[in-house]
Amino acid sequence: MGNWQRLVWNQRDALFSGLVVTVEICLIAFACAIVGGLLLCLIRMYVRPLRPVAIVLIEFFRATPILVQLLWVNYAWPALFGWPDTFFTAAWVALALQSSGYLAETFRGGIEAIPRGHREAAYSVGMRPMLVFRRIILPQVALSTAPSIVNQFTVIVKSSTLVSVITVQDLMFESQRIVNIWYEPIEMLTATAAIYIIIVFLVSTAGKALSDMLRRRFGIAAA
Amino acid sequence: MSETLQQLLDISIFWEYRTVLLRGLAVNFYVFVCAAIVALSLGLGAALLRVSRRRPLRALGTLHVEIFRNAPDYVMVVWVHFVLPLLIGTLLHTRFELNPFVSAIIALGFVYSGYFAETFRAGIEAVPIGQIEAGRSCGMSDRHILWRIVLPQVVRRMLPESINQFISLFKATTIVSLIAVPDLMYQVSMITQQEMRPLPLYTGAALVYFAVILVASYALRAASERWRNKIFA
Amino acid sequence: MSEVPTIRVVDVHKRFGSLEVLKGVSFEVHRGNVVSMIGASGSGKSTLLRCINHLETPTTGDIFIEGESLCFRGDAAGSRAPRPLSEINRMRRDLGTVFQQFNLWPHMTVLGNVIEAPNRVRGLSRKAAAQLGGECLARVHLEDKALEYPARLSGGQQQRVAIARALAMQPKVMLFDEPTSSLDPELTDEVLGVMRELAADGTTMIVVTHEMGFAREVSDRVMFLHNGLIEEEGPPDQMFGAPKSERFRQFIAKYLY
Ligand SMILES: Nc1ncnc2c1ncn2[C@@H]1O[C@H](COP(=O)(O)OP(=O)(O)OP(=O)(O)O)[C@@H](O)[C@H]1O
Ligand SMILES: [Mg+2]
Repeated sequence: MGNWQRLVWNQRDALFSGLVVTVEICLIAFACAIVGGLLLCLIRMYVRPLRPVAIVLIEFFRATPILVQLLWVNYAWPALFGWPDTFFTAAWVALALQSSGYLAETFRGGIEAIPRGHREAAYSVGMRPMLVFRRIILPQVALSTAPSIVNQFTVIVKSSTLVSVITVQDLMFESQRIVNIWYEPIEMLTATAAIYIIIVFLVSTAGKALSDMLRRRFGIAAA
Repeated sequence: MSETLQQLLDISIFWEYRTVLLRGLAVNFYVFVCAAIVALSLGLGAALLRVSRRRPLRALGTLHVEIFRNAPDYVMVVWVHFVLPLLIGTLLHTRFELNPFVSAIIALGFVYSGYFAETFRAGIEAVPIGQIEAGRSCGMSDRHILWRIVLPQVVRRMLPESINQFISLFKATTIVSLIAVPDLMYQVSMITQQEMRPLPLYTGAALVYFAVILVASYALRAASERWRNKIFA
Repeated sequence: MSEVPTIRVVDVHKRFGSLEVLKGVSFEVHRGNVVSMIGASGSGKSTLLRCINHLETPTTGDIFIEGESLCFRGDAAGSRAPRPLSEINRMRRDLGTVFQQFNLWPHMTVLGNVIEAPNRVRGLSRKAAAQLGGECLARVHLEDKALEYPARLSGGQQQRVAIARALAMQPKVMLFDEPTSSLDPELTDEVLGVMRELAADGTTMIVVTHEMGFAREVSDRVMFLHNGLIEEEGPPDQMFGAPKSERFRQFIAKYLY
């Protein structure tokens, strides 16, 4: 127990600052992924000329390992686009890319699952296409895909552990830094693993509760 | 810009190192296959615990699933590689080390066993109880029913979902480069350090993985659909 | 009769929690007999059948298959111990069961379904099992569907395969639990036809059914189950011609319109 006190509890400030970075990165990446995913999905479904581009991007983001994307954004993008200029930015950009690909497909599934009749009913009362999308389609998609979206957040949290590789000082980075001071990894790494497992567990439990609630209240099966 | 473009298009560097890189990709496959075997067997075990009639066994299965399904791959790889040998060493009172290959396979195998367990369980629960009772009435033992009646259906039913998991697992094998398993990503990092040309190398690596995974997932999906459709009309 | 009955049910009670579904049922079925079991929904017919092949364990009471107790194993000292599952499995081979929901195994062909148990439970060689399976499929007139998968058959055909699968164990008794209830009327006849042929061949059968015509024509004896008890039983002509109990009269009135 003394070891835990010395090696983990006394390091709580460092761990906490790492945790804050982790949370920041995950939230920024999550928000960008939702916006990016929606854009990709809409382009794929409704913007004919750009459709192939959207498909290639979606497939590329989904089919490339996150570590590869992270290193690619971090090392290749600055030379290609002159951006991102910090490791922190590279980290959330990579996480957002990956998840936007998955979310684009989730949104598409949600939109395609809406019965044709809903749209036709809206048109027949004289609603314009934009209005139909905003008032009829989007709210339903938001509800039916909410559990998958929450689930995607757990993927982001798990993937975020890799940003320590490009020296972003997240929880994993702090933990390994401390381990490298004393070379006593047992307590520190176990605690770190436990923290991550608990975070992901809580998020996914919330997602499950959400999908149960939606099913009960709106009769919606998660997409 | 034109210089970077030229650099990007200059894939000769990939050609130059082709043997090393291909060997790296082979390492990815090797880790993938071994970890998949571990994950499938542990996942099946955990799923059987979760559908067991005994409450403590069910709880054990649930614990296994919740721990490993919620654990980040990278954290588990690091934990298994650096902590597990120390724990085993303390138990055995000797110095104990894990070869990075073994660590990677154990860690990824355990993490993905959590996902496979859920897939298996859903598949087992989808088999109508009547089919199991039909087996019992023919005098089949529980083991016979499991292997001949339940699992063959589970495999077919869960194939599409497990293809996604296999692909995730394959993608996760890139993480092993971080504990110095010489996979493709590891080789790319090494070459980058020598050549100082990250742009074509990392772009190339991304494209290689993209191509491999895209082709594999389409091929597997098509094959599994054909196989399933024969039975679940 | 001096002969040992093929099935002897002795004072079987079955309770699910606080609900007593069977309240002491006893009867015997002799070799070659066809017994129809009828009764309202929820009267415990399925439960009784499931007790007979031990998919449910009776709360008290016992079932004897050719004189051998299904629930208990007596030892030399005369004490009785619950029978282990492996022995129950052995005894179950003498009971062929046909379910309302067919319950064919979808990943095996028709022939695969039929020969699975003869091959792997009784240990027949694949060739001998296939030979036997072919004969059983012939008895239900489905020889030509041997290599189809169940999903491609009609309901009536699936149920006939299920009958062939049960026959392939060469059971001493065939148990049917409402074998035609999930079939369209046209398909019902083809299954009942096969069952008539089995009865004519001297197969011992216990049939839970709502087909009064079948019960009347084919069975040697009819049992009317009500609230977990056998309310009335007897030969079909007597039962349907001159029902004794008021409840049974009401019950059959519903089927005669
Ligand atoms: N496993 C069980 N747990 C609790 N109750 C049960 C169980 N199986 C059956 N029952 C109850 O036992 C009663 C008798 O059921 P059973 O299926 O034997 O009726 P049945 O005569 O076959 O009716 P039906 O004609 O509808 O098939 C019903 O009230 C049912 O709810
Ligand atoms: Mg019933």
